[in-house]
Amino acid sequence: MASPCDGTLSPTEFKFAAEALMKKWEECKSILHPWIWIPCPKLPFGAPDKAGGYLSLEHIHHFEFKKQQDCIEQKYSEEEVEALDSATLVLSGENETHYYNFHIIYSTSYKVPVLFFRGYHQGGQPLKCDEVEKDLPLYTSKLLEESKWTFITQEEHPYLNCPWFTLHPCGTSEWMRLLLQQRLYSSRPEDLCSHYLVAWFSVVGQVIGLWAPLNLVHCSSSSSSSDTFCSHT
Amino acid sequence: MAESTVLQFSPFQSHVEEGFWKRLSSLKLNTLGLDETPVKITGFYGPCSHAQVSSHLYLLDESLPANLAEESSSSEMVLGNRNRCPIPGTLYNTNTLESFRGLDKQSLIRKEAKKIWEEICSGRVEAACAVLSRFLVISYADLKKWTFHYWFAFPALVLNPSALVSKLQPASEWFNLEEGKSLSEACNEWRKSSLTAAVPFFLVIITADSHVTLRPLKDWETCQRDGHKLLFGFYDPCHLPSNPGWPLRNFLAFICSRCKIEKIQFLCYRERHGLADLTHSLVGEALVSISQEWKNPQFIPEAVGWERNGSKLAPRRIDLATSMDPIRLAMSAADLNLKLMRWRALPSLNLDKLSATKCLLLGAGTLGCQVARMLMAWGIKKITLVDNGRVSMSNPLRQSLYTLEDCLNGGDWKADAAVRSLKSIFPGVEAEGFTFAIPMPGHPVQAKETAGVLEDCRRLQNLISSHDVIFLLTDTRESRWLPTLLCTNANKLAITAALGFDSYVVMRHGAGVSADDKDASFSVCSSGIEGHESRRLGCYFCNDVVAPNDSTSNRTLDQQCTVTRPGLAPIASALAVELMIGILHHPEGMNAPGEMASSISESSSQPLGILPHQIRGSLSQFSQMVLVGSSFNRCTACSNLVVSEYRRRELEFVIQALNHPNYLEDLTGLTELMDKARSFNLDWEEDDETDIETVL
Repeated sequence: MASPCDGTLSPTEFKFAAEALMKKWEECKSILHPWIWIPCPKLPFGAPDKAGGYLSLEHIHHFEFKKQQDCIEQKYSEEEVEALDSATLVLSGENETHYYNFHIIYSTSYKVPVLFFRGYHQGGQPLKCDEVEKDLPLYTSKLLEESKWTFITQEEHPYLNCPWFTLHPCGTSEWMRLLLQQRLYSSRPEDLCSHYLVAWFSVVGQVIGLWAPLNLVHCSSSSSSSDTFCSHT
Repeated sequence: MAESTVLQFSPFQSHVEEGFWKRLSSLKLNTLGLDETPVKITGFYGPCSHAQVSSHLYLLDESLPANLAEESSSSEMVLGNRNRCPIPGTLYNTNTLESFRGLDKQSLIRKEAKKIWEEICSGRVEAACAVLSRFLVISYADLKKWTFHYWFAFPALVLNPSALVSKLQPASEWFNLEEGKSLSEACNEWRKSSLTAAVPFFLVIITADSHVTLRPLKDWETCQRDGHKLLFGFYDPCHLPSNPGWPLRNFLAFICSRCKIEKIQFLCYRERHGLADLTHSLVGEALVSISQEWKNPQFIPEAVGWERNGSKLAPRRIDLATSMDPIRLAMSAADLNLKLMRWRALPSLNLDKLSATKCLLLGAGTLGCQVARMLMAWGIKKITLVDNGRVSMSNPLRQSLYTLEDCLNGGDWKADAAVRSLKSIFPGVEAEGFTFAIPMPGHPVQAKETAGVLEDCRRLQNLISSHDVIFLLTDTRESRWLPTLLCTNANKLAITAALGFDSYVVMRHGAGVSADDKDASFSVCSSGIEGHESRRLGCYFCNDVVAPNDSTSNRTLDQQCTVTRPGLAPIASALAVELMIGILHHPEGMNAPGEMASSISESSSQPLGILPHQIRGSLSQFSQMVLVGSSFNRCTACSNLVVSEYRRRELEFVIQALNHPNYLEDLTGLTELMDKARSFNLDWEEDDETDIETVL
C-alpha cells in the first residue's frame, strides 16, 4: 500500500486520492466549481495508463485590470462589413480576463502528482511565461526563485501533446514526506492515502494562488499541516 | 421601467482552443490541401455561470471532424453535455491572407442568415433548436509562422422595427416564492437529464397552482392552447444585469414569425455552481411587430453579427508558434534541460555566457564531430567548422556527424556536411562551415599557390578574431602551428586535443602576449639551463625541441591515416569541451593557473572542480594524468620571439616559416640549443640504459 514514508504514491492510490479530493472539495462548498475526473485509459502512444486519468479544473478566471494592446492589422469600414445596428450592445472591454485551466496528473517517473496549468487571453491566445508569472501572487515569484522545491517549467502535457506549465515535481516527494509525518502514526493507511492530494494541494494551490477552501486541510488530529510546510521551505 | 426602449443584446464572444487550430492544421496538411469548400463545424456554449464573466462560444478540437469522410454525418451528432451545447457552424478557410481579407463578408453572413430563416419557416427549429444560433467563421492558417487569422460572425436576423423592451428584472423578483422554487427544480431537472441538458431553448409553463414545467419548443402550440402563463427560456451566455445575450435575437424572430406573438415574455437562464440562479437570471418582456415583408415567402431578413475585436470591426489573430512550432519546442526543451542542471546541481552555472560563446573548430573529423555535439549539449549556439576534406566511406563510423549519404558521389565537403548534420540535430544552432586548408610549415608553397595560401591565412586570422574559443582538432602536428601562433597573438583561448594510437593529450594553451606587453617575461638562467616563462602556461609546442615539419610524406599508408583506438576520440573530445566549460566559469578565465588533482581532504575552490592545464591519458592503462607545463621561451609557436616577429612582418613571416622550417629553429635559438646539447658529453654508465621516451 502507501509509501507515506517516502512521500510517493502508486497509480491506483492516486486515483483513490483524487476521488477523495473531489469529494472534500464539494463538501467544503468551494467558490470554485468542482474538479472533474477525465478518464484516459490509454496514453497517446498506446501504452496503458495505470492511473487511468487525471483531475481537471477549467475556466478559472483571473481578472486583469489593464487592457491589452490589440494588434489590429487591418481595420474594416462599416461599408465593407456591416453598419452598427441599434440593437447591438457595444462592449467597452476595458478589463481583460485571463482564463486558466488546471490539471492534476500522476507522474510515473516521480510517483507523485504534478500540477499542470495553462493560461489564456480572452478569445484563446495562450499566455506566455512572463504573463503567467505576473498573474501569480507576489509572494510566489520570490518563492519560486529561492526555493529549490518549487519552480515553474514548461513540459509536454502527457495526454494533450502540447506544452503546459508545471510546478516541477522533483522536490514533491521530499516535502510530502515531511507534510505527512505528523499523520503517519496516528492514521490508518487508507486515511493517509485519501489525505494525500488534499495535503499536496494545500501547498501547491498556495504557490499558484489557486484559492482552496479554508477547511480543506482541516485534520482531526492536530494543528494545520500548512505550518509544517512554511518552516521547511 | 414603464418606458419601452430598444432592447440591446450583448454579442456572443468567441474562444478558440489550441486543439482546434491543431486539428485544422493537420486537416489542411493531410486532407484539405488547397480545397476551399466550406467545412461543417460545431461550436459549444453553456449558460453563464459567473456573475462577472460571460460565457463564450467555444471551438475545441472536437469542433472539427477528424477527417472529412465523417463530415456529413458527424457535425449534427456531436454529443454535447450540460456545459457544452453543440451549435452548428460553417468554416470558410482560405489559402492566402489576401483571399481571407477579400472575402465578401456581407454575402457570407447573408448566406448563413438564409439558412436560419429557412429553418425557422420550415419548422426545423422546433426539432433542433440549436440551429437558431448557427454561426460562421472565416480563417486563414499560416502554417509557416503558426499564426491563425480568423473572424466569427453570429448572424442575428434584424427585426424591423427593432424589438423594444418594456420590462427587464431578475427572475427572483418576477416569480413568487413558490413559483421560484418550482422553477429552480424544473430547470435543474432539465439540466441534469441527458436528453435535455444540451438543449438551449425551451418553454416555461407556469400553472395557476404555481407549478412550473419546462417543455421543448415543439410543444408550443399545445402550450398556447392550454392557456397557462408562458415564458420563452434560453441559456443566456451573458452576465450583464441589464442586457440579454445574443441567442435571444433569433429566438424572438422565431417566436414572432412562427408563434405569431408580439408581446414576448422571456427568461434569460443563468447558473451558479451548476444550479439555477434566479437572482442572476433575468425575466423580461419584449415588444416586436410582425413585419409585412415577412409574409412574402421570398423575403429574407437582413442580418448583423460580425464579432468585434474590442470595439473595432476587425479580425483576430492567434500566434501559436511557441506551442506548435517544432523548432521552438526543441529549443525550449534544450533550454529546460540546462536550467534543470543549474537549479538542481550547479547554481553557479552561467548559461547566458555559454550560449553567447562562439566556438571555432579546426578539423571536422573524429575529434571535430564529437566536440561539436558536446558543445551543443552545453548550450553553445555558435559553432564554426573548418576542414578541407570530403567525407569518405570510412568516416561515418568514427566521425559522428556523418552518414552514408554524405559519402555518396565522391563525398560532400566535410565542413558543409557537418553543418547540415548539426542543424538536423538541433535547429537552433548557428552553424557555419568553411572549406580550406590550414597552411603548414614543412609543406612549401609553390609560387603560383602563394596568393591562395595568403588568402587562407587571412581567412584563418579573421575566423580566429571573430570567435572566442578555438579548438585545434586537426590530424597532424604541423597543422596546429599557425593556429597556435595566431591565437597567442590575438590572446584567444585555444584548446588542443591530439590522439596517438591509444593515448591522448588535451590541453589549453596559455594566455597570449598582448601588444603592449613588452616585457612578456622570460628569463635566461646563467647556468646554461634555459629558463621557462614563469607564469604563462605552455602550448602544444612548448615541449618540443624541433620545429613542426612535414610528418605526412614518406610514411606508409597506415602511418598516413591516423589510426587510433575508436574510444579515444570521444574521450578526448569530451575532456576538451569540459575543460572549456571550466575555463569559462573560472574568474580568471584563460589566465587561470593550471591546477593538479586535489587531494581528498581539500575541495576545489570552483564548483566545477579543478582547472587543469593538460590532461594526458592512456587507454592501455585506463589511466589519466593531470599535468602543468609552463611556456617555453624558445617555443616555435608561442614564444615572445616568434610572436613579435609575426607582429613585425605578418604574413611574410608566415610564408617564410612555411617554406623553411629551419628558419623557426634558427629564430628561436633552438638550433643553437641543440648544438650545445650535442656537444655536451655525458658519461653514461654502461649498464644503466634508460629509455628516453619521446613526448607526443
